[in-house]
Amino acid sequence: MNALPGKLNLSEWDDRYEQLRAGGLSEPAYGGPLRRHVIRERDFRLEQLRFDNSPAALRLWNFLLTENERLHQARARGCQIVGTMKDLGTVPVMAYSLPGVRAFYPDGAWWTPCLMECSDRLLQQAEAMGIDASFCPVRAMLPAFLNGEHFPRPDLLVCSTGAVCDDFSAIAQRLEHLGQPVLWWEMPRRRQPVAGEISCGLPGQLVAPEIQVACVRSELQRVGQALGELARRNLDDVLLAEGIRAANRVRRLLQTLRTTVYTAPAAPLPALEMLVVEMLAIHFCSDREEALAVLEGLLAEAQSRVRQGRFVIEPEAARIFWVNPVADLRAMNLLEDFGGRICGSDFMFAHALDLIPEDLPPLEALARTALADPMVGPTSDRAARIIRECQAGRAEAVVISRIPGASHCAREGEIICGLVREKMGIPAIELEIPPVCDALLPALGSRLQALMETVRARRTR
Amino acid sequence: MRVYLSSPWIPAEWVRAHQLEPRGLWFAENLRCGIPSISAGVCAWAEGVVRFAGAQPDSAVVFTTACDQLRRGFDAATAHGGSGAFLFNLPATQTSAARQIYRAELERLGRFLLELGGRTPTPEVLRHEMLQADEARERLREAAPNASARSLAEAAARLFEQGVFSAPSAFIPRDCTPLALLGGPLSAPDWDLFDTIEAAGGRVVLNAMENGERSLCPKLRNADCPQSAAHTHAVPSPIPSPILMGEGQGEGIDSDGRGEGQGEVRVPNFGFRVATPRTPEAAVGFDERVAATDALAAGYFENITDVFQRPNTRLHAWLRPRLVSRGARGIVLRLFTGCDLWRAEAESLREAFGLPVLPLETADGAGISAHDVNRLEAFVETLQ
Repeated sequence: MNALPGKLNLSEWDDRYEQLRAGGLSEPAYGGPLRRHVIRERDFRLEQLRFDNSPAALRLWNFLLTENERLHQARARGCQIVGTMKDLGTVPVMAYSLPGVRAFYPDGAWWTPCLMECSDRLLQQAEAMGIDASFCPVRAMLPAFLNGEHFPRPDLLVCSTGAVCDDFSAIAQRLEHLGQPVLWWEMPRRRQPVAGEISCGLPGQLVAPEIQVACVRSELQRVGQALGELARRNLDDVLLAEGIRAANRVRRLLQTLRTTVYTAPAAPLPALEMLVVEMLAIHFCSDREEALAVLEGLLAEAQSRVRQGRFVIEPEAARIFWVNPVADLRAMNLLEDFGGRICGSDFMFAHALDLIPEDLPPLEALARTALADPMVGPTSDRAARIIRECQAGRAEAVVISRIPGASHCAREGEIICGLVREKMGIPAIELEIPPVCDALLPALGSRLQALMETVRARRTR
Repeated sequence: MRVYLSSPWIPAEWVRAHQLEPRGLWFAENLRCGIPSISAGVCAWAEGVVRFAGAQPDSAVVFTTACDQLRRGFDAATAHGGSGAFLFNLPATQTSAARQIYRAELERLGRFLLELGGRTPTPEVLRHEMLQADEARERLREAAPNASARSLAEAAARLFEQGVFSAPSAFIPRDCTPLALLGGPLSAPDWDLFDTIEAAGGRVVLNAMENGERSLCPKLRNADCPQSAAHTHAVPSPIPSPILMGEGQGEGIDSDGRGEGQGEVRVPNFGFRVATPRTPEAAVGFDERVAATDALAAGYFENITDVFQRPNTRLHAWLRPRLVSRGARGIVLRLFTGCDLWRAEAESLREAFGLPVLPLETADGAGISAHDVNRLEAFVETLQ
């Protein structure tokens, strides 16, 4: 039953699944063969992907792909469902502090057109609602909200605003105009304290003036009151502190997993699975306890492979630092097909990977964590962290994947690329990856191939 | 020194009170909204502002966080230094936290203006500028319904830059289709749009562009009565600005509060300190300065009416009675290529007001293409 580490396509996973079952594979309630997601949910994209062959990866994929189903089940059991948008990692910590509340990101619907290879027609429906292709694929969230065919309509919808992407903010506003109430909370654009201001340390080696921390703290207090009213229980410091400790358990595991995978001599887990598993940090894929179990399984697998010196990617692969999540999951396979491996990542929520301070009053700690969001501060701050992590992971190149229509992508890539080249002297490129990138495969392939060749040429100098 | 503001929601009178010259970026003669980066998703207006900032070593440019494009445009403009740029955090919400942010940003801008060579405004100067601008706005608001659209835009430009009222010429009644013009900034080279609309048989009866009638804030509360303002809603300034402290004070302090000294007051719950005046001379007018600044901040903050606000119901609430009273039969939505905020609003405007909306997109903010003239003519024709 134990196979050498490797990647399998969906058909190969069918066989692998039968072998594992015959060998006594134990699965959680949401377990099953990956194939069923194609048959039941029309997740056709799975047929184009290649997956890690471990039972731990199977569990990860099943966890990811059953999220909507699990949310519906939770509602049926009487749980309150909170939709939380844009902040990527903070409000869910608060929501999961309350018993009987589950939080999820409707933003996650941005992967639905990819998974369903646009057969869902969500993007076309969004266009009919006035949100055309000039917007980020997160526009899929809009019709998904209204047609109720994906995630359940939340009992409370919370969205951060201010220093956020224009396209997201505009789509969320459109949603409200279409009748979905939104609780907006202000996220100021993070800046350096000026002379005379009280400076607060934030996770991620950042600082902000106290007035900004106070602003976010007071806004989160407002959010906390709304969550408490929903749950009919006061979200007090005791509950919040426990929620923070639980979130930190997830973050610690994830940190260990990232370090294990990104610093290993070769990749013990593929890039695609690492992208998916990092997403668990932001809202635990709607089940905090199960997210821990999934992470523990993957960490054990990665550590075992490293101990045995067995990897999924060859040691000579180019070490790539990847910036931004990809609209098409297949892009992560492509990177490896062309001779790369991930040695670090910034999928736009670095603040959700950092530990939330446990020695501060809970709301203060959450406010500081929220303000450490790489997307609300200067691009140079984000670039500085990327450079630090590139150095730690001995990156040989940086790839910035542009999200079509995303307002942040218009500028940040140029700035980050420039700083990476200047400070590290390594190549950096931008790639635009649409929800289904098949038509662009030749162009994407050429660019990736050229990058890998550049990296290899630099090694021989 | 000229200080170019990228938003009318930053008080021009604050700049004037610091003895500097406020300018609206949308009126700048050499603002060239470019298109080279359009394919990369950059908003043409933001691109123009970034380029303008890079080409004006003797002037300052104030960016805002009103949109992601300008916010990140500031990052681009300052990527390699650039002391002449400032980013003003315009809050999106109308919460008490947002109000404090706005007030604090005004103080921080004041410090920046002093660094540029401005002078600390006395309460009298500040109050004078506020009252003058207030009165001019009121007169222009009253004149707007009967003004020629182009003349009104010109008068609004003069008001912004000089703080004084100049009477717009009256509209000459004739048979034409009343339209509202809505969108972000309308730059001076784009004012031909008013003529084009008239040539097509329409007339702009409501200039709801960012720098049009929307920017003519109603009378600021307590602008002429600083003492009462101090008692009603004065919030201690979160940044110990030279205005409040006297120049040359204020080093960075850490979150433990180290660095506090005599003559400073820690404000509970806000986490910042405010310096009490250290000399009898500095104490003169202290309360009045605080009160006048509070009144200015409150007056603007309470009247921001824009698409970036969340929710942006204030924009809709502002539009609704005016669209009705002016008899607008359609809305021309002027937007820059790459502007998500206005583009997404088109459908909501149709639904909210039951009026046809014609989006007119521009990549360079100058003029209108032959194709769009055709669309405009067809739009007006269908409304006749």
